[in-house]
Amino acid sequence: MSDEDSILALEGISRSFGGVRAVDGVSLSIKRGSIAGLIGPNGSGKSTLFNIISGVEKKNSGSIAFQGVRLDNLSPHKRFALGLGRTFQTPRLFTGMTVLENTMTGGKGQKGESPFNAPFPGRWEPQEMEIAKQAKSQMTSLEIEKLFGSHSNEISGGQMKLLQLSTVLMGRPKLLLLDEPTAGVAPRLAQDIFQSISQERVENATTFFIIEHRLQVLFRHVDTVFVMHQGRIIASGKPDEIVKKQNVIDAYLGS
Amino acid sequence: MSFDYVGFAIAFTTVYGIYSMLGVSLNLEYGYAGQPNFGQVLFYAIGAYVAGTIAANLLPMLAGVATGNICDVSSLVQREAIAIADPVISVSVWVLALIFSMAAGGIIGLVVSYPALRVKEEWFLSMILLVAGEMFRIFVQNTQQVGCGFNGLAGIVNPLNWIEKYFPGSQVLQAEVPSGLYAGIVLALAIACFLIAQRIGNSPYGRLLKSIRDDKVASESLGKDVSKVRKQIMIIGSIMAGLAGALYVYYIGTAVTDDYIPAVTFSIWVMMILGGYANNRGLLVGAFVITMLDRGSLVLGVLMEGWFPNFNPSLLIYARYMVESVVLILLLVFRQKGLFPETRIKTKAYTLFDFGASKAQGKKEPVTESLTEGSKQGEVQSNQVATDSSLVDSDTSGGSSRTK
Ligand SMILES: Nc1ncnc2c1ncn2[C@@H]1O[C@H](COP(=O)(O)OP(=O)(O)OP(=O)(O)O)[C@@H](O)[C@H]1O
Ligand SMILES: [Mg+2]
Repeated sequence: MSDEDSILALEGISRSFGGVRAVDGVSLSIKRGSIAGLIGPNGSGKSTLFNIISGVEKKNSGSIAFQGVRLDNLSPHKRFALGLGRTFQTPRLFTGMTVLENTMTGGKGQKGESPFNAPFPGRWEPQEMEIAKQAKSQMTSLEIEKLFGSHSNEISGGQMKLLQLSTVLMGRPKLLLLDEPTAGVAPRLAQDIFQSISQERVENATTFFIIEHRLQVLFRHVDTVFVMHQGRIIASGKPDEIVKKQNVIDAYLGS
Repeated sequence: MSFDYVGFAIAFTTVYGIYSMLGVSLNLEYGYAGQPNFGQVLFYAIGAYVAGTIAANLLPMLAGVATGNICDVSSLVQREAIAIADPVISVSVWVLALIFSMAAGGIIGLVVSYPALRVKEEWFLSMILLVAGEMFRIFVQNTQQVGCGFNGLAGIVNPLNWIEKYFPGSQVLQAEVPSGLYAGIVLALAIACFLIAQRIGNSPYGRLLKSIRDDKVASESLGKDVSKVRKQIMIIGSIMAGLAGALYVYYIGTAVTDDYIPAVTFSIWVMMILGGYANNRGLLVGAFVITMLDRGSLVLGVLMEGWFPNFNPSLLIYARYMVESVVLILLLVFRQKGLFPETRIKTKAYTLFDFGASKAQGKKEPVTESLTEGSKQGEVQSNQVATDSSLVDSDTSGGSSRTK
């Protein structure tokens, strides 16, 4: 794959916790505009890898290139500014705020987020309405718009997942890392979430990298799957190829 | 003995204004931004001492007399005389003192936020501030060169005292007009701080602050420069606290270290917890209650002394802190969110949504023309119940679909 095709390139990423090598020399490349899956048994290091890519967790070694830019020690907020968004496996929401306020927090470049502009609504209200409209349509497509006034700790676990997705999509990321977006969500809505993901890719050319345990749904939508086991990528390829690989089957059977 | 109602009202208003300012400041830092400041009194004290020092030095300087030692009684008498004689000097020194106190508060706020930003745990900051506040107090108390040490810096009189010459016939008016006007100014500045806090709170910046308070990692992952914002809010809060300190020292007349004990911080915390975190209106109620306790204990002490000659009025000062502690314990046990819970961040964004569909908290604001499309959409949904749980399972059923 040439550099132009690749939106994210990892090279030898490692991370240990105490003696445990949670991520052990991971190298991979994600194609621009694709939907890639990351699967693997519990504890295989998937979330840790996402934490490293998004900057929430430090790496011990290796390098990360996002759209040709080396991320290395860039703080998470700068990575987001570059177009790298993420959600968390256990939803991390702003519990003192409503669903609408949570979603709107995801909006990028808000003029009213400066203390010098905040006291003067005239300076930020036009933009606020734009963001509110975007938030409303975002929430509507994820079917959480009726919850707009509920506090984010009053909604169900599945709705929390959707709210997280809704919030991060507000920033129009170029690459979105989703950590189990459908865990806790009803089967039909899981389908819908993947539909929105596919739609988002078409409309905004967003690239997705998705950790998911629901393999059936995942496989229907992804172009490439990476399989992680004990901190390493043990296989990658198209879904139908992956399921035939013996080492993948072994990893899942726990041998 | 007759009770001086006017005097009480003036003192009450002044103290209420100052407490409200301190409370609004802490509420921005902690209620909104989640930064627990256990050393609020530090910024208050710095404001007071900066204002006092500036007044004591500038008044004689501008009046063209030798300053001498500002701690001497002769110097004190001299500056009180200047303040009464020269309105221009008196008021301009006061304005300068306020500005420098705010600047000093802001700078110290910035400085102390640095060590705090090195660590992720914000309780570290609160410990540093708690200690710093006490260290400053003890340092001043034992350093004659700073604020005249243990004796305190006296003679920082009301900048409007020159008004007394317009009421030659009445000693009562000579005292009450300047102090009444001063109380009005303090109240006006407190209202200004409150309005700024309200506007900040009900803006995208308010969302930003709360996002940092609720989950720093998530906020940072959504592109928010958490360190920068934490610094900003410490500066804003400290500017307000510095202003409160300057206004207080000009009201009480003397900067003494006993006025800046950690219990002051405690009172500010109680008013915030009482009124409600991130609720500025509630905070005004909390500040009112604490002002009642403060003034009430003083007045009652004086009255009791009149009735019972052997009564020690400082007992009531202690009683005040006891009452505050009990209030705090009751709140923490029975009403952790305070009397007035946090409200929504009221920006125009909500005009796109229909409050009929869920429990409305605020008033529905008029929808502007460009937004009618959005509001129609809202009406269609208005009959449905807000929480449509049929679409979404609980967490447990999702977990079962995991590959084991
Ligand atoms: N902060 C941490 N401190 C110590 N150990 C950690 C930490 N985070 C992860 N680990 C360990 O690293 C390993 C990988 O964890 P990780 O959460 O990345 O797995 P995962 O593939 O996401 O699993 P799951 O499917 O259960 O979400 C596990 O053994 C875990 O216990
Ligand atoms: Mg995980």
